[in-house]
Amino acid sequence: MPLLFPEEDASDVRRRYKPDVIKGDMDSIRKEVLDFYRSLGTEIIDKSHDQDTTDLHKCITYIRDFAPDVNKSSQLCILVAGALGGRYDHEMGNLNVLYCFSSLRIVLLSDDSLIYLLPRTHHHEIHIQTSVEGPHCGLIPIGVPSRSSTTTGLRWNLNNTEMRFGGLISSSNIVVGEKVTVQSDTDLLWTISIKKL
Amino acid sequence: MDLMHHSSTFLLPTIPLHHRPSLTYALVVLNQTLPRFAPLLWKHAQLRLCADGGANRVFDEMPLLFPEEDASDVRRRYKPDVINGDMDSIRKEVLDFYRSLGTKIIDKSHDQDTTDLHKCITYIWDFAPDANKSSLCILVAGALGGRYDHEMGNLNVLYCFSSLRIVLLSDDSLIYLLPRTHHHEIHIQTSVEGPHCGLIPIGVPSRSSTTTGLQWNLNNTEMRFGGLISSSNIVVGEKVTVQSDTDLLWTISIKKL
Repeated sequence: MPLLFPEEDASDVRRRYKPDVIKGDMDSIRKEVLDFYRSLGTEIIDKSHDQDTTDLHKCITYIRDFAPDVNKSSQLCILVAGALGGRYDHEMGNLNVLYCFSSLRIVLLSDDSLIYLLPRTHHHEIHIQTSVEGPHCGLIPIGVPSRSSTTTGLRWNLNNTEMRFGGLISSSNIVVGEKVTVQSDTDLLWTISIKKL
Repeated sequence: MDLMHHSSTFLLPTIPLHHRPSLTYALVVLNQTLPRFAPLLWKHAQLRLCADGGANRVFDEMPLLFPEEDASDVRRRYKPDVINGDMDSIRKEVLDFYRSLGTKIIDKSHDQDTTDLHKCITYIWDFAPDANKSSLCILVAGALGGRYDHEMGNLNVLYCFSSLRIVLLSDDSLIYLLPRTHHHEIHIQTSVEGPHCGLIPIGVPSRSSTTTGLQWNLNNTEMRFGGLISSSNIVVGEKVTVQSDTDLLWTISIKKL
């Protein structure tokens, strides 16, 4: 964080950007970092005994249990930085978290792209924020082939089109205008490029 | 069911003489930062292709991997055999430079239906005699990271050409397909890869997969997105075996040398 505010004092930046919670199996966090945030009042949740789930999975579980029931489905959206790139098995594990918690809005973000799940239980309207995202996009049938997907608002729309790995998937597509609609018989992964601002 | 052997010998400084299987390597460079071991892959490859903007990467970044040498010398030494693609990313100066050195330029700008990687794989497929296809292994640098729809498109190329050995490489990981048509033996090169690994049922759920050699082995285990996938696994020892009812993606970490 201090590197993103080079004109400011590093300690001031660190105090301002204090996490509410640090959670996980604690095998990567440096002791000095842990002590620093603990002294500022950050809640430390040591889950080192739980080797069955990824750190992201643990965090999503915490948020799901923390958020009041009434707000969960419609109002909560979990933004995740750092889920893509790095070790590929980690990236896949993080992708799987979207599918495991398909009733929660979870957005994975990198410098270049954002991705989230479009559950098959709903028709979807995606309002494109053209000042910050697009035009490159894709719809990816991860996990299960799609027998029928239909879109509007893309350069190459789908029309009851089959999609599967080993055949057609919608990558290198382009958003045209400001609204995209999607319906499908399976959960699809939506991805769109983030503009370099 | 036939046995298929896999081994990341392309990451070794030299490939052991009587190593089986004996493979011919081709290298495809896509438009992402070159992995730090790009010169090693280049050395092992008998055919080197750049996909469009991948040529910019070789031109700009190979000299950076040899900072003590003169940049022009490095560029001449790392001259691709072919530059293939829709030519919307390669810089004119880079194109002219390699063309003047004799690189074959294949302009596929009329073809907007396939990705640059797909075009390169098709070229190699058409180029390699049928008899040699099973001993061919295509190494791809720059397929992961960057735009996520590109990454998924590149992953799909593995599934579209499932009878070809294609390895996608980044600085951190390598990935390739284990086709359901074979039992698989993966010989782990412990000096350069591991221990972190995974088996991922990308396109279709797996009703039954079985492994040996992993910390958490599968035993006729079901895998699917939304349920169990084998990530954050660990290789134990030097041999992993896999059999499955579906095509699985194998991924293993590359050691920081």
